[in-house]
Amino acid sequence: MENIIECRNLTHYYGKRLIYENLSFNVPRGRILGLLGKNGTGKTTTINILSGFLQPRSGECRILGEKIGEMNPFTRRKIGLLIEGHVQYQFMNIEEIERFYASFYPNWKREAYYELMSRLKVAPHQRINRMSCGQRSQVALGLILAQDPEVLVLDDFSLGLDPGYRRLFVDYMREYAKAEDKTVFLTSHIIQDMERLVDDCIVMDYGKILVQMPVKELLGTFRRYTAQVGDGFEMQEIPDMYNPSVIRQTLEVFSMHPEDEVKAQLSLLGVNNVQAEHVGLEDAFIGLTGKY
Amino acid sequence: MFKISKILFSLIVMFLLVWQLPACYNFFMSTPVDTPFTLYSSIARDFASLQTDENKKMHYRDASGNEYTEEQFDSILPAFYYRQLVTDGRFPDTICGISVTPRQIQLANFTMRLSPLDLNKPKLGLWQMLETMSGRVDLELPDDAFRITSDGIEFVKMETNTVDVDKSQRFTKAMKQKGFEFPALSLSGNPTDRKEYDEGYAMLDAVKKLYHVKQTVGRPYVKAISLPEGLVPQHLFITEFPSRKWLCFLTDVEGYLWVVERESYAVKPTEIPSFNPSEESALIIGNMFDWTVKVNRAERECYYAISAKDYSLIDSLSYETPVHRMLGLTFTTSKDKFVKPRFK
Amino acid sequence: MIKAIFYKEWIKTRWYLLLAFVVSMGFAIYAMLRISRVCSLKGVDHLWVVMMQRDAIFVELLQYVPMILGLILAIVQFAPEMHHRSFKLTLHLPIRATKALASMLSFGMMVLLLTFLPALLLMWGYLQTILAPELYWHILLSVLPWYLAGVAAYLLACWVALEPTWGRRVSNLVIGILLLRMYFLAPAPEAYNEFLPLLVIVTLSYSLLSVLSLTRFRDGRQD
Repeated sequence: MENIIECRNLTHYYGKRLIYENLSFNVPRGRILGLLGKNGTGKTTTINILSGFLQPRSGECRILGEKIGEMNPFTRRKIGLLIEGHVQYQFMNIEEIERFYASFYPNWKREAYYELMSRLKVAPHQRINRMSCGQRSQVALGLILAQDPEVLVLDDFSLGLDPGYRRLFVDYMREYAKAEDKTVFLTSHIIQDMERLVDDCIVMDYGKILVQMPVKELLGTFRRYTAQVGDGFEMQEIPDMYNPSVIRQTLEVFSMHPEDEVKAQLSLLGVNNVQAEHVGLEDAFIGLTGKY
Repeated sequence: MFKISKILFSLIVMFLLVWQLPACYNFFMSTPVDTPFTLYSSIARDFASLQTDENKKMHYRDASGNEYTEEQFDSILPAFYYRQLVTDGRFPDTICGISVTPRQIQLANFTMRLSPLDLNKPKLGLWQMLETMSGRVDLELPDDAFRITSDGIEFVKMETNTVDVDKSQRFTKAMKQKGFEFPALSLSGNPTDRKEYDEGYAMLDAVKKLYHVKQTVGRPYVKAISLPEGLVPQHLFITEFPSRKWLCFLTDVEGYLWVVERESYAVKPTEIPSFNPSEESALIIGNMFDWTVKVNRAERECYYAISAKDYSLIDSLSYETPVHRMLGLTFTTSKDKFVKPRFK
Repeated sequence: MIKAIFYKEWIKTRWYLLLAFVVSMGFAIYAMLRISRVCSLKGVDHLWVVMMQRDAIFVELLQYVPMILGLILAIVQFAPEMHHRSFKLTLHLPIRATKALASMLSFGMMVLLLTFLPALLLMWGYLQTILAPELYWHILLSVLPWYLAGVAAYLLACWVALEPTWGRRVSNLVIGILLLRMYFLAPAPEAYNEFLPLLVIVTLSYSLLSVLSLTRFRDGRQD
């Protein structure tokens, strides 16, 4: 499958603080990939590198086969960018901003934009800085739909949106990306949104990628194991068992390994009567990265 | 593009450093050199100076080291302090063997400043020619201004901003008749009504011949002044002192000062050592016996005493004025009124 | 596409453009009215004489007007771009970043030209009816460095505004202020005549400084 986004051996520091080293990932055509990670693990850094606003210390990123730093400006026509907080030119109104962007994109789909705008309860001459964050998100979305890019890079699309607008955004985006075979790279701090939207996910921890796989596969294999244990039980570190914890004599541990294998390993430690259960993306994320 | 910007930025930073660092250093580190007020005394036959010490006490002495009281100091500089002497009833009947009155002293006294700032500044190119014999006691400013073009003098009526063709032709004709070749290289006049009399302008024509041009009863007065062999004038300084003794001073291309006497138009040399009026400022304080000429040279303040009679050098004195300056870029100097980058 | 950038700049600056034009013309008209008042009270002669004898140019109040207008223009144009870093949107447009920046700066320069030139023309037009060429050129050449300072203030403020980090922004500001001093060192009218051609070149070269800020912005420099 053709990779639309390819990042090889990205390494970045802020000053002397290492963000990550030798990070590599691909996004194949037609897939929606979500980048999950706690604060400070480098989500925004990655988005900034991908959108050309940060030069990594080393490594390279290609979108549509072109190195980002040396990209032909016209290639950017095929890349839609949503900046964190749905930032758009605040000083324009919805007509002006449409007229402005239209002249940059030969395949501009005016109707797509105005269709979305017609649902907003805003006057055509209302300036964007007078709009609510939800309304602004719709303007930003409408502009991306009208641009009709091949690749979309969305930075924390849920920031500042109430549940209704978040759902609206997610559903619209999912439907659009699937219908038009778009490739999407996105981050969000609200993981339920991601679950509805993304095909694949990358879970980042400080300095590394923990997991990169389709969400379905992750949710199909990732389980939470709980069991009652005696006083003073201490869980030893076992590879591929994530974030074991004991609270009030209840052991909790996560793993992607087959259920039988995990149960066998635990019984070797004297833990029996183990309950296994599938979890949602949010719990899986917490299971992978820990609560702290 | 980025590289060019980077180079430009570095150049700007370097430029600001060579401009601002020396400027700051010079601002904070330079202390003014306090040289004593000095005049030549024909009575003491020596330079006499007056200086304030750290305790604000005045010291009066001559160059030989003799100390004076304040009253004695007035007396050895009677032309300069004549008003004090008159007030004290101490004004002498004779000075240096010549009987004088305070009025004579007052008439003969003059002060003249030759400042590079006046020479090195943008020239407006318009002057006014007063009527020298208006028949009134007070001078009056004319209602026109003139410019010197490449082929004549042109009077412009100020009220209507139009050329007075008739007057322009009359003056141009008169000047050309006397051999004046336009345009003028230099002209010196003092077009103000706050003076006792008007002598119009001293002008250098295109071939550096000296002329006196003024307006008398509405008519042009043009006099070609014959110059001694070899004299090439450069800067002219109209005098218009109360004594009416001179028309103007001039410096030649070698920096020697000459005087042009008013009535005879005789051009006479002075023995003041040469200086560069467009670089070095000079101050002349003259009286009927002697002139004290102060020339501010680089790191030296030079005083020359000149005989008022024949302009011969009587004595000289100099004070060191060391300058502790850091080399750097500056835009303005005390010697001209232009703003332009220069390294000094 | 450059037209579209101009359109964006126009939306940001249209009200300011009007204001700047009114202020620039207003000050020029006021200066001319003051001159005309001197003429009606004391006669044109007086004006000529004062100019000839005392090096007066009667328009000193215009000195800092162009600089302030240029400074505010840069803020009006670039503050919205820096708000929420929406300059990223401009950089993401399918147009070379330097070209986008050059278009924005060109727009600003045109605004300044349209604000300053009519004021200068107005002064030229009025003054030549009452003054000899020597005198009105004396005035116009004396005010020229001030208008040039307006252009310099604009370009330097753009450089400062586009800079992504505060530390660098402050040091750029200091450099900018020192550079602007260069336009106000005149001890006398027409003092800049000789230096003016070089100063024009130097002033226009400030536009290249914004490329530095642009590059730093794109490289993601942060405090």
